[in-house]
Amino acid sequence: MADDRSLGSSSVGRLVSAAGVYGIAALFLAVGALLQATGIIRGFLTIQNMLNIVDAAALVGIVAVGMAFVTYSGHFADMSVPTTMGFTGYVCIELLRYGFIPAVIVALAIGLLIGLMNGFVVGKLKANPIIWTLAVNYVTMGVIRLIWVNKQIYPDMRGSGQKAVELFDNIYRLRFFNLIGLPVVMLLVLVVAGQFVMTKTSFGVKLKLTGSSLRAAKFSGISVERVITTAFVLTALTATIAGLAVTSLSRVGAWYNGAGYDFKAVTAIVIGGMTLAGGRGSILGVLGGSLIIGLLNNVLTLLGVGTFSQDMIRGAIFIVVVGINAKSLRSLGRDDA
Amino acid sequence: MKRAAILAVALALVALVAMPGFSQTAAQKANLAASLKVDTSVLKSADNQLLLAPSTDNRKVPTRPADPSALPETDPLHWYDMEWAGWNVTPTNLPKSPADGAIGKKIIFIVHGSHPWTTACTSGAKKVADAYKMSFKVLDPNWVKDVQDQMIDQAINEKPDMILLIPLDAKGAVQQARKINQAGIPLHMFNTLPDAAALNYSLGWTGPDDFGQFRLLAKAWADQMRKQNPGAKTLGVAYVQHAPGGSPYFARSFGPISELATYAPEVKTLEKASPTPATFDANTTMQLVSDWLTKYGKDLKGICASDDSAQSLGIFQALEKAGRTDVVVVAAGNSKQGMDLVKEGKLFGITYQTAEGDGALAVKYAADWFNGKAMPLRQNLAQHIITKADVDKFYPPQW
Repeated sequence: MADDRSLGSSSVGRLVSAAGVYGIAALFLAVGALLQATGIIRGFLTIQNMLNIVDAAALVGIVAVGMAFVTYSGHFADMSVPTTMGFTGYVCIELLRYGFIPAVIVALAIGLLIGLMNGFVVGKLKANPIIWTLAVNYVTMGVIRLIWVNKQIYPDMRGSGQKAVELFDNIYRLRFFNLIGLPVVMLLVLVVAGQFVMTKTSFGVKLKLTGSSLRAAKFSGISVERVITTAFVLTALTATIAGLAVTSLSRVGAWYNGAGYDFKAVTAIVIGGMTLAGGRGSILGVLGGSLIIGLLNNVLTLLGVGTFSQDMIRGAIFIVVVGINAKSLRSLGRDDA
Repeated sequence: MKRAAILAVALALVALVAMPGFSQTAAQKANLAASLKVDTSVLKSADNQLLLAPSTDNRKVPTRPADPSALPETDPLHWYDMEWAGWNVTPTNLPKSPADGAIGKKIIFIVHGSHPWTTACTSGAKKVADAYKMSFKVLDPNWVKDVQDQMIDQAINEKPDMILLIPLDAKGAVQQARKINQAGIPLHMFNTLPDAAALNYSLGWTGPDDFGQFRLLAKAWADQMRKQNPGAKTLGVAYVQHAPGGSPYFARSFGPISELATYAPEVKTLEKASPTPATFDANTTMQLVSDWLTKYGKDLKGICASDDSAQSLGIFQALEKAGRTDVVVVAAGNSKQGMDLVKEGKLFGITYQTAEGDGALAVKYAADWFNGKAMPLRQNLAQHIITKADVDKFYPPQW
């Protein structure tokens, strides 16, 4: 799953690397099963509970799959994801009056434009990716507030047809066989596509080289600007998809709709074995990272651990994984994680 | 004898001059007379409700226990300093009303930050300010306390007739209020309760009575759970809480908990948690509630949410996935999503939280003070629980 160099030299690192992120997931499942068998928790090993975990992980997973391309390219993360999600949700609701398909297409186009701009400024103009995308996040929030005068907008109050509103509502709520939600299906499609792009295409190879060593990539004749731009565009694409799903679930266009998804996605990426320094990791690992966060939340809630303590535990895991990563990178002569 | 008579006349003259209205010019008197004729009782908010509905809360302020924190959390008096904040203040250096009329006064309205709620609140405030032809200026620090501090300096420099403030930070509000007070500018605080010491420098406080609303909601909620579960010895419930720290976090969970301890002792709290890291994310709430449903199954009979929009949508998504229609859900309202859920028969009840009324009541308080009326230390917004029976009256939503 994860790149076998990703968690290098320490004993914990070697163990994690050998088992992969799915080994950790299996460990969580085993712990959950043990707790259930001993009567400490109940209902863990049920189809409904497993589906709940996957459902909860879907939106974070969708964002993480896209953002993983930026991380893999060696540019850490895209902090403009929250307002990209919020802004495209607004746009889609505003345009529902012209039909569902045009509204979604325009929302996607605007999301891609944000990605294109981020990619150009970071790739071509060499702006710091964190600072720039954070700035874009604030500017986009300002644009939202300016255009909609600080108001929330509702799908059924913008003169939209009933059919368009129903279709929009179903972006999140459509369930196949009354079990699998559309976001889960979208996540799986994106994971397969993302894994393919990252491992089986020339773009994936260029991205890996760019993430591993920007200078080496340049000397190899790779247009790193184009590679970085594409990575940001892919992030914006998945942020827009997740933004539409969150907006559909909330039934409202609101600037805060994507709040928190940036850090949740980065956590999934890092736990999934991708290094923040770039060039190592996999999309399948990112999927595993998203599922682990869902599993962890689930087991802790069933155990009665409060949500604030859960935050601390998630944060601690993030720090430990980043620490192992950094140590591993130092041993390889790269201490920029 | 003659000297005594002169002294008596002098004292009478001093007393006369000190009487309100004596030293007013004819223009001021005319302004006061015109101001008193302004009728704001007919103004309406965007949801077609009376903008300034009179409060229906007739509860008497109880005596403060010596140490409220020593009481158990299930005792309503444990929450005394939050629930009854503003009633037991020591007015410090408060200016006297000029009693020369509200018309034409300059007020500066400092809010906490940009939000659709704030837009509606400001709109309600402006309706009342316009009725009194006040000069009305809004300053928005966008949720940054330091910026709010700077805005208070700016407002003081502009020498308005009054500053109306939603404090961003309960503790920081003490310094803010003292500063405005020392500048000799009347201050009125509203919406968010600051630290009690800040209220010493404020003419008064107006806003929603979150505790009162949730005590009312809790009773209706318990009645409905009893109706749906006749004879049940235990009714397990859970609370989806607000963001920690602010008064809604306590009022919207410990309000019902302390109320039901005596009103419906069979109601047992199984869980209470604030979805994190995003308190108002439907997806995060959905996961939390799904996990509760897994953990407690049919023992979970009711859920009380601190938000009727994203949180409630997340709750119903979890309930629908689990095939549960028997759980009685109530929430703080009244957003469009919440009212839609009430209309669909999903949410049993929501509290009426008028944003426009909140802003309007603050400006009305200021106007009444300029008009020389004796003002209470605290004025609450009217309380009401919206159910399916009357939800239609509250459309379109304010924000």
